[in-house]
Amino acid sequence: MKSILITFDQAYTERIIDLLTRMNCRGFSMVEQLMGRGSKTGEPHYGSHAWPSMCTGILAVVEESHVDPLLEELHAMDLKTEKLGLRAFVWNIEKMI
Amino acid sequence: MSLYEGAVKRPIMTALCFIAVVIFGLFSFSKLPIDQLPDIESNTIMVFTYYSGASATDIENNVTRPLESTLNSCSYIKHVTSKSSENVSVVTLEFEYGHNIDDLTNDVRDKLSMISTSLPEDAGTPIIFKFDTSMMPIMMLSVQADESQPALYKILDEGVANPLARIPGVGTVSIAGAPEREIYVYCDPQKLEAYNLTIEAISAVISQENRNIPGGNIDIGNETFSLRVEGEFKDPTEMSRIVVASFGGKNVYLSDVARIVDTTQERAQESYSNGRKGAMMIIQKQTGANTVEICRKVNAMLPQLQKGLPSDVNIGVIVDGSNDIIQTVKSLGETIAYALLFVILVVYFFTGRWRATIVVAITIPLSLIASFIYLAVTNGSLNIISLSCLTIAIGMVVDDAIVVLENVTTHIERGSDPKQAAIHATNEVAISVIASTLTILAVFFPLTMISGMTGVMFKQLGYMMCIIMTISTVTALSLTPMLCSRMLKLEKRQNKVHQTIYGPIQKALDRLDVWYAKRINWAVKHRKTVFGACVVLFAVSMSQAGRLKTEFFPSDDQSRVTATIYMPISTNTERSKVVAAELARKWMDRYGDDLKVCNYRVGSADENNTFASMQTNGTYVISMTLSLVDLKDRSITSDQVVADMREDMNNIPEIERFMVTAGGGMSMGSQSSAKFEIYGYDFDETDRVAQEFISRIRNVKGVGEAYVSRDKYQPEYHVEFDREKLAQNGLNLTTAASFLRNRMYGSMASYYREDGEEYSIKVKYAPEFRTELSDIENILLYGNGANAVRVKDVGRVVEEFTPPSIERKDRQRINTVTCVVAGGSALSDVVSAGQKIIEDMDLPEGVSVQIAGDYEEQQDSFKDMATLAIIIILLVFIVMAAQFESLTLPFIIMFSIPFALSGIVIALALTGTSLNIMSLLGGIMLIGIVVKNGIVLIDYTILCRERGMSAILATTTAARSRLRPVLMTTLTTILGMIPMALSHGQGAAMWRPLGVSVIGGLTISTVLTLLLVPVLFCAFEGVSIRRGRKAHRKQLELAAYWNENKAEFLHDKTARIDMN
Repeated sequence: MKSILITFDQAYTERIIDLLTRMNCRGFSMVEQLMGRGSKTGEPHYGSHAWPSMCTGILAVVEESHVDPLLEELHAMDLKTEKLGLRAFVWNIEKMI
Repeated sequence: MSLYEGAVKRPIMTALCFIAVVIFGLFSFSKLPIDQLPDIESNTIMVFTYYSGASATDIENNVTRPLESTLNSCSYIKHVTSKSSENVSVVTLEFEYGHNIDDLTNDVRDKLSMISTSLPEDAGTPIIFKFDTSMMPIMMLSVQADESQPALYKILDEGVANPLARIPGVGTVSIAGAPEREIYVYCDPQKLEAYNLTIEAISAVISQENRNIPGGNIDIGNETFSLRVEGEFKDPTEMSRIVVASFGGKNVYLSDVARIVDTTQERAQESYSNGRKGAMMIIQKQTGANTVEICRKVNAMLPQLQKGLPSDVNIGVIVDGSNDIIQTVKSLGETIAYALLFVILVVYFFTGRWRATIVVAITIPLSLIASFIYLAVTNGSLNIISLSCLTIAIGMVVDDAIVVLENVTTHIERGSDPKQAAIHATNEVAISVIASTLTILAVFFPLTMISGMTGVMFKQLGYMMCIIMTISTVTALSLTPMLCSRMLKLEKRQNKVHQTIYGPIQKALDRLDVWYAKRINWAVKHRKTVFGACVVLFAVSMSQAGRLKTEFFPSDDQSRVTATIYMPISTNTERSKVVAAELARKWMDRYGDDLKVCNYRVGSADENNTFASMQTNGTYVISMTLSLVDLKDRSITSDQVVADMREDMNNIPEIERFMVTAGGGMSMGSQSSAKFEIYGYDFDETDRVAQEFISRIRNVKGVGEAYVSRDKYQPEYHVEFDREKLAQNGLNLTTAASFLRNRMYGSMASYYREDGEEYSIKVKYAPEFRTELSDIENILLYGNGANAVRVKDVGRVVEEFTPPSIERKDRQRINTVTCVVAGGSALSDVVSAGQKIIEDMDLPEGVSVQIAGDYEEQQDSFKDMATLAIIIILLVFIVMAAQFESLTLPFIIMFSIPFALSGIVIALALTGTSLNIMSLLGGIMLIGIVVKNGIVLIDYTILCRERGMSAILATTTAARSRLRPVLMTTLTTILGMIPMALSHGQGAAMWRPLGVSVIGGLTISTVLTLLLVPVLFCAFEGVSIRRGRKAHRKQLELAAYWNENKAEFLHDKTARIDMN
């Protein structure tokens, strides 16, 4: 099992949940209002006067086989609308109950 | 779930909610009555006290003064004026506006009951009379008649007045100029003398003969019959066969000493329409009834009534009160339609997308229609105020929607899904949208709190604007995102047609952005030059302010001119009629097709005629009404007509004085007048001052006419009896006087009854025996048993002048000079000229002059408006300071306000419009509108600063990015006002100054805001950067100092601890 942290501009929310469902990744946790900014490019998402937009974060734990297709789809989505901002990070799940 | 999220996620509910509002609004609209102005509650109470036999001075001392001093203690009194004339005292109480007139009436009644015991015994109980706007006639009908003239009163009363009075809402219908039928017994004094008869005796005989007397019942057989003597005349001619006396054993018939004339009243007002004799009918409405509705019903009924009248009787309409109203509402309707069109065009021009245009434009009807619900709920009406409010609002309601739409578009362009974009983009701008609406509310809400006449006008405007703006914000935060989520999508390539049309516009706008950014870049680096230039511009424009003319309410062309012309007192009706006919003919020839009806009335009115008795009338007074065709169909304005008429009358030496007014004073917007009140006890001195003042002010340019309120001493013939001689002949003064009265005025003998109507039978001397003074002197007086004596034997007839009625204001005698302002001139000019004359004049001791009338109202209102402006500025400042969490930024934004003022001054000066309550209202509205531009600009500038840009870069970027939204919202407001400023329809003069001042103020202030606000921002930012640096430097110095002396400080501390 791998965990994927997907952080993205709020505007993606519906599309990403749709994607997870389509990819058969049932389990995830979501933080609706998340602040953050990219390492290189992209506008900060602070929900402030200067940077009013906000991020949403989804932490999904998926089968290993699902990881690559999911990342590909997400990457495609990001390339299509680069200005919004979408990142995904994958790491191992050591144990679970 | 927030409002916008809910709206976007539940589009059907959102759409239906708004549809429900529209349905309810349209339903309310269908119920709304149309009226000229919002309901104005009256603020005047009159107290009439009759005291028969008392002269003006007696009345003043014994009735008026005690009443005045008691009533003066009523609460909310503004002025107490009074008129004491022979037999009657009229005290008029003017209250502050905005208080319940019923409560005030009760207060007055209590005060009156307190004083009633100290009034003279013979004085009647004071009568309270509430003056009401419903007293104003709403319709005047002209009646022309030829052979039906003698019976006209009856024909009109039965055939027209009664049916009209049955229309719901009609108060009274009075007939003027149609004399009532009367039967006169004209006696020959010589014949009376020959038969030893008197008028009184004849009168008594007629009264005895003209009777029906029931004689009880009689039983004949099994039946009971009632017994009657039917002596009433079946025909007036029967009277000639009455035996009035026996002389020398022979009967003397009435026809032997008198002739019986079945005719109309001897002295009555005569009415002429377009040169033909006839009558005039005046329709008054009940309080609270709707003028337009009543006039519509009357107009519908007239053709039907006309059918029932004799063929020579023609009814026409002189004045139709609803006409003005309907025309005004219609031209305002057109204004609204144009404003709507312009605003939609502007939105399309800037967005270039029809979908976006629809999303924005839909806010307009929604917000406007919703305001009808408010009107219906508060019993309001569609009137000048509520409709101009809609015109003003059109340009402003789209602002919020534009801001939301713009941000949603940005989000969509960044790649968001329209639905998500709508929610998040609205969320981002919601606070600033609400804040900008709050600034507008801060402007309009205080308007609901003004008092006085102005308050009555602006209360509705204030509430309506608040409601419309609130609705527009709610729409912008719910319906607009919903529509955006449904209708907007990422733009595909536009089709070719669109690109050919819109391409150049797009390019021009882009070039404008670049050009503007460059100018700002220059300006922020030359701050002192820009600031200096702005200050100079402000100073120059303000120097023009002194030249502006001021007036209270703009005067308006109401297609009607009324004139009251005074011939020398004691001119008889015949002579007045000749002059009137001459004038009427002259004016009818001159104005031809421009004139609809020319009606004039001459002679003294009957006491029964409510309308006429309220107006000045008399044998020497001519009342004239010229009804002109609608403004758009005529070549001459009513002001010109008035000026011409004044000139004509000035050329007729026979006319002593005249008053001509355009508009007829039936509503607001007639020509304004300046009143100069001359206070002083001595009649002669105040008269002299008034005459001197009037002769000088007449030469002032802009004074149409000037007249004094105090009547001239009236010439009269007094019969002075010698009481001793009377007593010797067995007479007393009352008997002798009644002999006189019966012969000259007539003795009421009895009533002649026909078809259920009663006509009086009057016995008096025949007219040919009432033409000379000797006729009075030769009247025979019969005492108790003794021989008859002639008037000349027991008294003499002398010519006297009765003192005028005494007018007082605020418990001082007063003589008022009224100066009517000629068309095209301003009240302020006349007032300042008047003030100068007063200063030059050498006023006698105890005489003072004050300025009142429209000028006083104007000053009060202007003062109110100034206070209001200060309150509004503070409120707007508070809203902005709260939004920006800063005191400097609102201060910078506030710099747009002075330039709005320069804009107003420049616009008014260029168009020659005077400063009046409407243009001031425009100025007050501008406070809210102009700061909006500043807010948009500053908001984005600080956003750029927060994003880390330098001050100069931030201002340039913000200026470039915000130019279009600022121009767009400004242009929607300006173009929304243009139809108002240019309109020439009926009533347009009323709101044109408002349009002119908003357009002028907004244009200048927007241009300068776009330039000055970035410059000031940079200047203040520079100061704060320098201050920051200084603080930082100090901190560094402190740190360095600490480092240097650290050991010492620590050592000191250890030493102190050791000591302890």
